[in-house]
Amino acid sequence: MDRVVNDFTLNIATANGTGSQSANLILLHTLFEMGVPVSGKNLFPSNIAGLPTWYILRVSDAGYQAPGDRTHIQILMNKASWQDDIDYLEAGSVIIYNSDVKLPVDRDDCICIGVPMTKMARTLNPKLARMIANVMYVGVLAELLGLDQELLEVAITKQFKGKAKAIELNSEAARMSREWTAENVTEGGPYCIEARERDGNGFLVEGNEAVALGAHFGGAGLLSWYPITPSSSLAEAFIDYIPDLRCDEDGNSTCAVIQAEDELAAVGMVVGAGWSGIRAMTTTSGPGISLMSEFIGLAYFSEIPAVIWDVNRVGPSTGLPTRTQQGDLTMLYDAGHGDTGHIVIIPGTPEECFEFGWRAFDLAERYQTVVFGFSDLDLGMNHWLCKGFEYPDTPMDRGKVVRTQAEMDAFENFGRYRDVDGDGIPYRTLPGSGLAPILYRGTGHDDDGIYSEKPEVYHALMQRLKRKINNSRSELPQPIMREEPEKQVGIIYYGSMENSIQEIDDILEATGLKVSQCRVRALPLSPEVERFVEEHEMVIVLEINRDGQMYGIMRRELPIHLVPKVHSVAFSDGIPPRAQLYADMVMEKLNGVSK
Amino acid sequence: MSIKLNVIELPKSDYQGGASSLCPGCGHDQISSVIIDAAWENGLAPERIAKMSGIGCSSKTPAYFLGKSHGFNTLHGRMPAVTTGAAMANKDLTFLAVSGDGDSASIGIGQFIHAIRRNVDMVYVIENNGVYGLTKGQYSATAVKGSRKKKGEINEIQPIDLCKLAVTLGCSFVARSFSGSKKQLGALMKAAMSHRGFALLDVISPCVTFNNNEDSFRSYTFVKDNEQELHAYDYIPERVPITEAEIPEGEYSDIELFDGSTLRLETIGSDHDPTDTVAAMAALHNAEVANKHVTGLLYYDPTKPTAVDDQHLVSTPLADLPDEEMRPSRESLDEINALFRG
Repeated sequence: MDRVVNDFTLNIATANGTGSQSANLILLHTLFEMGVPVSGKNLFPSNIAGLPTWYILRVSDAGYQAPGDRTHIQILMNKASWQDDIDYLEAGSVIIYNSDVKLPVDRDDCICIGVPMTKMARTLNPKLARMIANVMYVGVLAELLGLDQELLEVAITKQFKGKAKAIELNSEAARMSREWTAENVTEGGPYCIEARERDGNGFLVEGNEAVALGAHFGGAGLLSWYPITPSSSLAEAFIDYIPDLRCDEDGNSTCAVIQAEDELAAVGMVVGAGWSGIRAMTTTSGPGISLMSEFIGLAYFSEIPAVIWDVNRVGPSTGLPTRTQQGDLTMLYDAGHGDTGHIVIIPGTPEECFEFGWRAFDLAERYQTVVFGFSDLDLGMNHWLCKGFEYPDTPMDRGKVVRTQAEMDAFENFGRYRDVDGDGIPYRTLPGSGLAPILYRGTGHDDDGIYSEKPEVYHALMQRLKRKINNSRSELPQPIMREEPEKQVGIIYYGSMENSIQEIDDILEATGLKVSQCRVRALPLSPEVERFVEEHEMVIVLEINRDGQMYGIMRRELPIHLVPKVHSVAFSDGIPPRAQLYADMVMEKLNGVSK
Repeated sequence: MSIKLNVIELPKSDYQGGASSLCPGCGHDQISSVIIDAAWENGLAPERIAKMSGIGCSSKTPAYFLGKSHGFNTLHGRMPAVTTGAAMANKDLTFLAVSGDGDSASIGIGQFIHAIRRNVDMVYVIENNGVYGLTKGQYSATAVKGSRKKKGEINEIQPIDLCKLAVTLGCSFVARSFSGSKKQLGALMKAAMSHRGFALLDVISPCVTFNNNEDSFRSYTFVKDNEQELHAYDYIPERVPITEAEIPEGEYSDIELFDGSTLRLETIGSDHDPTDTVAAMAALHNAEVANKHVTGLLYYDPTKPTAVDDQHLVSTPLADLPDEEMRPSRESLDEINALFRG
């Protein structure tokens, strides 16, 4: 049998709450430290213990980071999903199962390897056998794939850092099952690992942690939040970094954190803090945005800086709360009743999560409005490859704030909402300053902030707000273009699709097509996106939702003559995008259009 | 003619606001004028006050007082959260919040409760009339059971007593007054402004338009006839000489407020101890069963840490910190990158 080197997908089926995530991360980090291009996707249930959970490890010398479209090696630990997992496999797959589960593995067309994982674990520690059994599959894989034992033990040490007993026990378990496999398994399948040169700069990190760090380097003065998957780890990472990054020698901090009573209060605190002149943010997911909408309208209309991170999960309603989707995009863009329109910045890598983490505040204060950071569960909670975080290259942009009487005296006719510079952005003063105080309000107001219901005053205000946000188009993070000179097919995508796009592109180009890519990184759209559409024969908008939300925004905003050549490919099933699946849908769309 | 100035040498006109657009005779306007007097007499600098409100008749009033203070007329029931965030940004401001019974007892009761729970340092005035005025006369959650509106329907649901609720939550300052009792309200208002922590001042403020027939328990005549004062008050800021020499010794007790000023309680047929939670509950309960409104300082605890205290922030208000103190250093990011790289 031909060996398959560094090109396969491993699916590990376990039960939630059995410690399998530790075992999976040990595998991920061992492969990473061996220099092998690898990605890990955690498919976990909305549950603390007991329900099925899967971990997908993709190993790809080509550098593909998407979860593979098919499983090559299946680990079976969980009774509940046992038969479904077996049925899903293609012929020739390798099945490694815990033979102590006592369930049949009826696949003659696969390579089936039963390992007495629980029995072995009991010999080490009967009480912890269920958890230790998970490390047993790590040892089995180490032997079958040829993992570096030393690096494996380093990964175990890091995973259980500081807990000597756990390190010893897990290392012993991995060695035990590795030895058992060497002695007992004769047919292990074709898949193997070869070490590659490790890029010393790279590391694996979750997008949520990167955003949290970025927010600190943006000088966030308040985080108020309400726990919701998959955004909670963003807030928790922010909190974890406070002692190191934000405290003086006496332990006093330059930022406040409030776990609010609900999302309405969380965003209300952000608005209050932004009004008072500090940089404030909240983190949430779709259901939280729904609840925040009234405040979002208030911040837009009264022109208060506010940063809101939406780590998107599957909706509608409670939906699939632990799965990924790009289903909130139009909700963010249009949040609030009446006419609104918000800035949305959309990172697609951990580096950008960090950068947008601080840049969001510059934009919110510059434009005196709500700025959404749009991430999702895949980018936020899975480990993505990162080359490192770059220190902000510009001083903080605090926007147009009049802070002294001398500055105020320079105005001929100061008004909180007067468009002095013609860019739609007025000047503000802060509570406590005594400078041109007004009663901020969510009701109609004139240039001086005084209540007004006059038709011409309302109309002019709404036009200015629109102009203000529109003017940001070229100042927001611009799209990332990878263009082919033929300008044949252009794919517009965004966010976490970044992990799958190159593989999709390669699949399409293997058919002879020439495919350009345009990764949108902000709303409202850059003029560059229009240029991209203009120049390509056919454009596909590729996204992880049902209805093609970015496509809808483009239909609404592109010049009408460009709309006919833009087409939507949108699909969502909760799993991070598998390349073949999306590539097939793109081909189908292209074929349909050319007919 | 010389203009009378307060301790920071400002005339009272510096504390006034715009013209009221409430119904003529509205009790809320009396409260606004008490706020103006109290802030002036306490010598608060107008620019160091932030006026906060939600939505409703009461929440419109910040436009009618303290015109030299910044203010924020926020969302219905959401003023406590906005104030909490603002307090985090600038802990040295005096937050003077006005709400109503619809705002605080219904749509915003969650935020009301949690602001008390956190002990946000603010004065929280409820202009309590038992009806929704701006939407033309629906009952609110504080409407007394059995009271009848002008249109005739009787309220069948028991009310929420926000003072009772606040006492059970451990609110650090709970007082009730009446918009027609200008002297008592003024003393309580000044005390609330001096308090460090969440100061609830529930002011019964009859609605002249929708809730002022004889059968309404929040009507002016009903309250006037059935108000039971717990104490008579005189509030004495520390900077002003004590002028109330005629109060006989032994018939009052002094409570020291956080800023060193003193709230003087004259006991009228009552030996209520405002540091006693159970006594506060008993006073509220007894008044309720007797169909009376007990007014005065019901509960007081100046020792509770505030929401900002709990944050352990640096001493300078965050809003006043220079940018370079808010952004961590380049070296700290280098260290983080190095840690990740192992």
